[in-house]
This record gives sequence, structure tokens and C-alpha cells, in this order.
Amino acid sequence: MGRLEGKVAIILGASDERSMGAATARRFAQEGARLVLAARRKEAVDAIAGSLGALAVRCDITSEAEIAALAKAAVDRYGRLDAAVNYAGISVSESILDSTPEALKASCDVHFVGTVLFMKHMALAMKDGGSIITTSSLTVLAQAPGYAAYAGAKGGADVAVRIAANELGERNIRVNSIAPGFTKSAMTEDHFAVEAVTRAFLKEIPLGRFATVDDVAEVALWLASDEAFVTGQRIDVTAGQSLRRVPLASEFA
Amino acid sequence: MGRLEGKRALIVGAAGRGNMGQAIARRFALEGASIAVAGRHLDVLEEVAAEIGGVAIHGDMTEQASIAAMAAEAEAALGGIDVAVNATGWGLLKPFLETTQEELDRMYALQLRGPFQLFQALIPRMGEGAAIIQISSATATILFHDHYAYMATKAGTDHLVRALANEFGERGIRINSISPGVTETPMTAEAASVPGMMEAFVSGYPLGRIGTKEDIAAACVFVASDECFMTGQNLQVNGGLTLRRNPNKQEIEAAVIRAAAA
Repeated sequence: MGRLEGKVAIILGASDERSMGAATARRFAQEGARLVLAARRKEAVDAIAGSLGALAVRCDITSEAEIAALAKAAVDRYGRLDAAVNYAGISVSESILDSTPEALKASCDVHFVGTVLFMKHMALAMKDGGSIITTSSLTVLAQAPGYAAYAGAKGGADVAVRIAANELGERNIRVNSIAPGFTKSAMTEDHFAVEAVTRAFLKEIPLGRFATVDDVAEVALWLASDEAFVTGQRIDVTAGQSLRRVPLASEFA
Repeated sequence: MGRLEGKRALIVGAAGRGNMGQAIARRFALEGASIAVAGRHLDVLEEVAAEIGGVAIHGDMTEQASIAAMAAEAEAALGGIDVAVNATGWGLLKPFLETTQEELDRMYALQLRGPFQLFQALIPRMGEGAAIIQISSATATILFHDHYAYMATKAGTDHLVRALANEFGERGIRINSISPGVTETPMTAEAASVPGMMEAFVSGYPLGRIGTKEDIAAACVFVASDECFMTGQNLQVNGGLTLRRNPNKQEIEAAVIRAAAA
């Protein structure tokens, strides 16, 4: 019997086979969950959803109406919602001295405002308890130059996760975030192509290898299952890198 | 197929009937691990070992020689050690100003020196893919009255866990700690038997109930398994308790008085 047998799960951010969203979708499907997959590019979600028998929905996390529609799609199709995972993210990197309101607001729209509204609408659709999972980052745990907009918004979202957990516990809804380290995915593949970058990072990873999207999926599975009496937590999947640091750009030579 | 199939696990602190160590040992056995249970009372250990098809090993966490012998015996009996859980503890409640040197020494021996020496005994015997789990406490993060020696040593051991994760990650050994909140076990049985006592804790839990030893065992399965790529972490497995707090002394007294009057 699968660990998510009988459960219905939404995974937002599943538009590429190499993504955390797709890896999580595959893992959840293996464990018996019925799935609704979503991302901004509906045709990309269709490709992944098709092979898993999942429902594909277009959802841009910066649109509250689309988030609400995503939750509704799960309930309309399967009659319930038990787990919701948010991997939606954008890459933002600029130093403090180069900061722009545009990039700061774009990051906040996706990572903070989007995350809070995701928690809101998923919780509203969960009538029988559930588990909401969102994505934090190593950059919240270790200061990475250039990541003020990205990590600042993600860190704010983590505070909102703790508050959501405190509020939603009485509905038996658990709310947690997962903090991956530098993980090879669709979003980071270009960086992984540069050996100087991977070498500098590996030096800072106690376990000596990068976490994979599958490692992240395992944590999401645990949090989504009934086996995690855990709420309001940020679960670190950095392979220990948060015990050390993020390398400086000057080391990528 | 169990999630710990092929794993050889040593559970220290399983010599109390119905304690957390026993719950972890039972769950690990269900998941296919081969088990050595250890602690100070061989007769109790033999009961649980017989039940789950494991081996019973005497070990006293306050004696270095005993810790070393326990690790060696577990390695010999199981053919190696892939997973080790330290579920020992002493739930001393004593006002700060009244805590004696004898109590402090005993607490230090069991909850900081003992884990330190247990990790010293285990790490040389472990290899790629091994996992150590230290059972910590929510009170290493949040507070509880009259629990000073306990809280301080649990917090100290958590920091040791982080340092060892950093040091021994390159050998493929993961080390994490798990923090329960108040849990009904033999350690808390006396307090829990006072009517009103456990009810006083419930409002501290966003999820509306105190945790069980089975909750902790479930988290241990994940952290011990090859599914988990985490190290150096302290996991709060307590239903969100650290978002709130434990009841203070006055709240407990009031709850007990209410229960007695009812």
C-alpha cells in the first residue's frame, strides 16, 4: 500500500521533466496519490501530467484567481485535497548596490505574496486536514551574495509558514517548507554546466554530493504523508551545506 | 518491502517497557531492519528482542567502557551497524537553585558525555550510508520550568550533532537529532498520571494533540532510511509546539486543581 494512497495532491511548478515538481509528481504517483499538476506553461504541464494520469492546470502564482482555480480544479476532479506543494520560483540575482524595485517586487510577488496566497487557497480547499509544503532555500540559511531579493522574499515566506502552521493547526493542516541547497534542476542547469561553480559548492557540502530533485521529492513525500507530526518547520535538504556557507563568486574561477 | 530492509540498527534506551526506544525498535523491525536493543535492564531488553526477533545488549550510557562494549557487541551481533538511535534521557525536574552537583554530574554523564562517547564508539564502525539519530527534546529550543539540567545538556548534544555532521559527512555518515515534545512514556508516567497534567500541555500544540512515541518512530524511519539526504539537522517532530510554548508552572497547577475539582 502506497504512502499516499487515497490522497489528492496539487503540485505547482511541474513544467519540466528535470524539475523538483516533476520529480515529486513521479514519487507521489508511485505512492498512490491522485495528482493535479500546474505551472504557468500549460502545454509543458500536459506532457508530464499525461504519463502520470494527472490533471494538468495552468497556474501563475502571481494570480490569486488562478491559485483559487487550481485548488478548485482538484476538488472538482477528485472531490478533495490532502496535500499541496509549491515549487514556483523565479531566479533573481542582483547585489544590494544594483538592486532594482522591479526585481525586488518580482521576487516578492512570486516567493512571498504568491506563497501566502497559495497557503490560503490550499487550506480553504482542505476540508479534512492536510499538508501544505512550500519551498525555501539554502540562501535563507546561509548568506549568499546577490540573493537579497530572492532569499529575502523566501525568508519572509518561511515566517509566514510558521504563522500559517500556528493558525491552521486547529484544522489539522500542517504547513512546512523545504530548503534545498544548490540542486540540479531545470532552473539551475546552466550553473551546473560550469565546473568551477560545482567545485566551489562541493567544497561546502559535508555529504560530498549535491542533493538531487529526487532527494527533495522524498522530503515532500514524508511531509505529505501521515507519518510527519511536524508543522511550522523548514526542512533542510542541503546535504549539510547550511553548516558551512555559500561560496563567493570570486571562487568560481 | 520495508523502508529499512537490510539495515542493521542499534537502538539505545529500549530497556523500559513502553518507552520511546521500544516504539522505535518495533517500528524499525516492521520496516525490515535487523535490530539490537540496548539499555541497562537486560531482562526487559530480552522481552522486546524476542518479540521483534532482535538481540538484547547491556549498555550503560554513563560508563565509557560499557558504551564501547555495547557498540562492539552490536556490531558483532548484527554484522555491522548502519543505523543507531540514542533514545536515552533523564527527565529530571528540579528548581535551578536547588539542583545539586550530584544531579548535574549524572545528567551530564547521561545526556552529554554519554552521547559524545556513544558517537565516538559508533562512527569508526560506520560507513557510507550510515545514519545516527539523537533523540533530543523540544526543550532544547523552547523552555520548561525546572528542567534546567535536562534542557542544557540536550541543547549541547544537538550542537555536537551539527559539528559531527560537518566532520563526518565526507564518510557518508548522516547525523541528525529529533525533538519530541512531552510524550507519554515511562519517563513522564509519574507526571502524566496526575489528573489535568497532560491537558495543560495541549494548548501549546497547533495540531491540537500532544505527540506519541509512534510519531517519533515514524520520523526516525524517514531519517534512518536511504530516502533521507539530510544531515546536521534538528527536526521538530512535535506538532508545532516550538511555535508556541509549554505551559508554565502556574498554568499546570491551575489545570491540576481544575481536574481535581471536577
